[in-house]
Formats: sequence, C-alpha cells, structure tokens
Amino acid sequence: KSCQTASIATANASAQARNHVDAQVQTEAPVPVSVQPLSRYNVPRLAAFLRRVEAMVIRELNKNWQSHAFDGFEVNWTEQQQMVSCLYTLGYPPAQAQGLHVTGISWNSTGSVVACAYGRLDHGDWSTLKSFVCAWNLDRRGLSPRQPSAVVEVPSAVLCLAFHPTQPSHVAGGLYSGEVLVWDLSRPEDPLLWRTGLTDDTHTDPVSQVVWLPEPGHSHRFQVLSVATDGKVLLWRGVGAGQLQLTEGFALVMQQLPRSTKLKKHPQGETEVGATAVAFSSFDPRLFILGTEGGFPLKCSLAAGEAALTRMPSSVPLRAPAQFTFSPHGGPIYAVSCSPFHRNLFLSAGTDGHVHLYSMLQAPPLTSLQLSLKYLFAVRWSPVRPLVFAAASGEGDVQLFDLQKSSQKPTVLIKQTQDESPVYCLEFNSQQTQLLAAGDAQGTVKVWQLSTEFTEQGPREAEDLDRLAAEVAT
Amino acid sequence: MNEWTKTDREPDPLPSSLPGPTAPGLGEPQAEVEETLKRIQSHKGVIGTMVVNAEGIPIRTTLDNSTTVQYAGLLHHLTMKAKSTVRDIDPQNDLTFLRIRSKKHEIMVAPDKEYLLIVIQNPCE
Repeated sequence: KSCQTASIATANASAQARNHVDAQVQTEAPVPVSVQPLSRYNVPRLAAFLRRVEAMVIRELNKNWQSHAFDGFEVNWTEQQQMVSCLYTLGYPPAQAQGLHVTGISWNSTGSVVACAYGRLDHGDWSTLKSFVCAWNLDRRGLSPRQPSAVVEVPSAVLCLAFHPTQPSHVAGGLYSGEVLVWDLSRPEDPLLWRTGLTDDTHTDPVSQVVWLPEPGHSHRFQVLSVATDGKVLLWRGVGAGQLQLTEGFALVMQQLPRSTKLKKHPQGETEVGATAVAFSSFDPRLFILGTEGGFPLKCSLAAGEAALTRMPSSVPLRAPAQFTFSPHGGPIYAVSCSPFHRNLFLSAGTDGHVHLYSMLQAPPLTSLQLSLKYLFAVRWSPVRPLVFAAASGEGDVQLFDLQKSSQKPTVLIKQTQDESPVYCLEFNSQQTQLLAAGDAQGTVKVWQLSTEFTEQGPREAEDLDRLAAEVAT
Repeated sequence: MNEWTKTDREPDPLPSSLPGPTAPGLGEPQAEVEETLKRIQSHKGVIGTMVVNAEGIPIRTTLDNSTTVQYAGLLHHLTMKAKSTVRDIDPQNDLTFLRIRSKKHEIMVAPDKEYLLIVIQNPCE
C-alpha cells in the first residue's frame, strides 16, 4: 500500500498597516524623593531597634575617635600623573588671521566642551569688526584642533563667555557694544537664542563679565547677570521671541560706596564706578564680590534695597548693591574668584601684578602676592583642592599656587606663549578636574592636564584652609 | 501586638509633662527615639545620623533631604550586598556591622531586620 499527501493549497496575499501612531519620549527631571514622615505604628519597633544597636554604635564611634590605625595611610586609585602637559592646542585660523585674542573661556556643564570668545582686549574701536565664538568637543573622536565643532559669527567683539550650568549647549556672551547674547551651539543654522538688543536698559560700555544665576524659587531656570564698566550690574531673563528682558538692576555710584576704607578722591563728574569682574559666593547665593576699575573689591548683595543715585535710564529701578569696600589694589582689578571651600575667602588680581587674598570680614587683604611684573588677567580657585589657585599673567604664563607647599612662589609655572604675549583667561574643568584651559593673545586655547598633586584633595585640606584663614587674619 | 507586652516600659507619664505634640499613648517611645538619636548625633566628630527602613527609605535624619536620600539608597544596597557576601561564605554567619573608611570621613552602618542606622563621623587624626 502506498500513501501520498494531497497537494497543499497555497495562496498569496499582501497586507499593509494603514494606521500608524507617532509617539515621543522624553526624560523629565526626577522628582526628588523625600524623607518619609514617621508613622505612628513604627515608633515602638524603632525604639526597640535603637535600644539594641545604640551601645554598639557608641562603642565604635569612641574607638574610631581614638584610633591611630589609619594615620598616614593613603590609597591611590588613579594613575599618578607627575608632570603638567599640554593636551590640546586649539585655535580658529580665520580669527587668528585677524589678530583676535581669546578674551573668554568656558567649560560646559558636562565638562566635555570648551568654548572660547574672540575679541580684542587692548582698547580700540573694534566694535565694527566681526568676531567669533568657537567651541570644541574634546570627547569627540576626530577632534581637529584647527576646526571647532561649532563656530558662531558675532557682529561685535565678544569679551566674556559663560556656559549654562545645566544645558550643555547654551552659552551667554557679553559684547563690546554692551549687549548680552545667548546662543544655542547645537543649532548650527541659527544659534542665537536671546539678545538684549540696544535699548535704554543695555549697558553703555563693554560688558566685562557674564554669569548664570538660578532664578529665586525656580532652581532649574536661570537668569544671566552682566557687569560692565558703566557701573551697572544687570539681571536678564529670556522672554518671548528671543528677547532678554531686564528683571533687576544695580548701579554703582561713588557717593553710595560704604566708607570702610579710604579711597582716592575722584575728580568731579566721575560718579559711576566701573565693574570689571564678578564672583558669586558658593555658600550664600545672594552674596557677590565685584572687582572695580578703582582697584577695590566690593562686597554686594542681590537683596540690597537702597535705590541708586543715578540718572541712567532704566525700566526697572536700579539699586545700590555695595555693602562693604575692601582695601584697593594698585590698579584696576581684572578678576575675582570666591573660594568654593571657605565662605569668607576670595582672591582678586589686577594690573598691579599682585594677587590679594581677602577675607570678607576685614578690609585689608590677608595676604598679597606679587606674581608678575606686568598685569594679571585672571585668577581662579581650584574646584577640588582648597589651597590651590591659578593665575594668568601678562608675561604669557599660567601660575599654579599651592598654599600648602609655598605661600611665596608658584608651585608650577606653565609657559603658554613662546613670545611672552599675555594669557587673558583661564578656567578649571569641574567635571574632569585634571583639565585647565587657558586662552592667550595669539588666539590659541591650550588645554593643560595637571599632575595628580593638583587634582586630588589631601585628607585634611579643608581644615588647613580654615587654619590658614584664621592664622593670617590675626 | 506581642511586642508591647514583652518590652519593659515605664508607666505612661501624664500628658502635661510630654515635651511636644505626640500621639497619645505613644509619646514615650517617640521621645526615646529622639533622645537616642540626639545622643548619637552629639558624639565627637559625628557629621550626620539617619535611620533607614527595610526598603531603603529614610525615616529619620539630621542631614538635608537630597544627601539623606542618596546615602540611604546607596548604603542600603551595599549593606544587602555585604550581608549576602558574609552569608555566602558561611551560612551560619551574619553581618553585624559595616564600616566604610574614606579620605574625608567614616561611614558606619548598624544593620537589622527592619532598619539600618547610619552614622557618618569625621575621625580625629
């Protein structure tokens, strides 16, 4: 007998889905989890638990307090870097061909992008010259030092730059014309996000520094603060169609400065005090230090209420922010920096070539160091080592000071330019703490890798800083 | 409910002597909890104290919210891992105490079935 399957019937048919749905996904900032309130039913069991463990914990705390078991014991987790080396030399040839200097530098919030502003710092009428803001993404493969990842052409010289604290592609810049602009570097076709425009509120002098500040009450929204040599400190917020609107303003007037220290008498008619640098305290978000053209730092507060005696037009009432005047330098101040580890210490540097370490509690500086025979253009505290700061000098070098090693001379002197042209700006990278970027008059940005001694905090450094502040003050 | 009869408890004090608004009848353990935590917190060098429940949710703390939540989540995981490590090596053994020493301070964790007590101390050198 044989068997055979019957032929199988087949047929062809086609199918296509005609309906489709679009969906978008976005992560939101996480809602912070809060501590649960103690519910009544757990209390007796919690009390029993604490009774059980208390004796053991107190015993361990006591043992720990008296123990010398770990004295001098240090562990190295990272590869030790002995020398300071130059990782990248970045530049934008069209800007360098025009003889532009690097006037401002900023690292973005993720620490992988460094942006620089091109302009001129020797005073002249460069307001009609095109300038640039360039950004390099150091983490991208195929990084080309002569080709920035993003270039923005700006109609006027840019004198200062600051990246947004949380948005990795937003950057604010202050112009020679007094305007403040905010760009989004992730949009190459149209990067300009907001601008102040040239209104009555805008600065009438070049903007010396811009800083991002969290809005009071909304910790994830930010405003831009700009200071300029016309004596105004202005707070801007982006509204509507690309317009930066003035929300708060302050004006520095000679007659309203607190007389905590003797100042040189100014000739009649000069009532405005030009602001050249600003630094906010990391401990009190309303407190800031202003560096001035007169060489004296001012302690100011955003909460100051007194109206400013100025006739400058403004859409919001201008207030006088100064609360305390410190002893002056021998010339205008170019940079101030508040210590991220000590609430009262700040540094200032200026044209007299000196760096002053001030405590906010007294007018004369705690110590004064002469770092250069020419001007000092920038000074910054290290974000990781409480006793370290860096200064950029007019002789073309970056000086790194470690107050633990020596309070007289720099621990490391990095020669940035070969022909002694000045270094105008420098910034530490707070995410990748071994990187330091510095921009000079030749239009190059050099990214330096610091040795391990500058990036790892020693065991008792914060206490050493406190002791230094107390010692020098008495 | 057996717990209530087993533990040694002093008679409930009169309501007028209670230090603050507390649930009636539960004021005494509440005050004891607060006092114990205050004793630990005031010890030499202690930076912060917190109590975390079995799910890793903080129920008592002397530090700010975000720091507490971070410590609670991370140390809860680590304590569970340490406990399973000890028991894997020897099933008759169990974790009694966990200490983590870092450059800046020392973290001590006293574990239990239902709670974790975490104390952060800055030791003297």
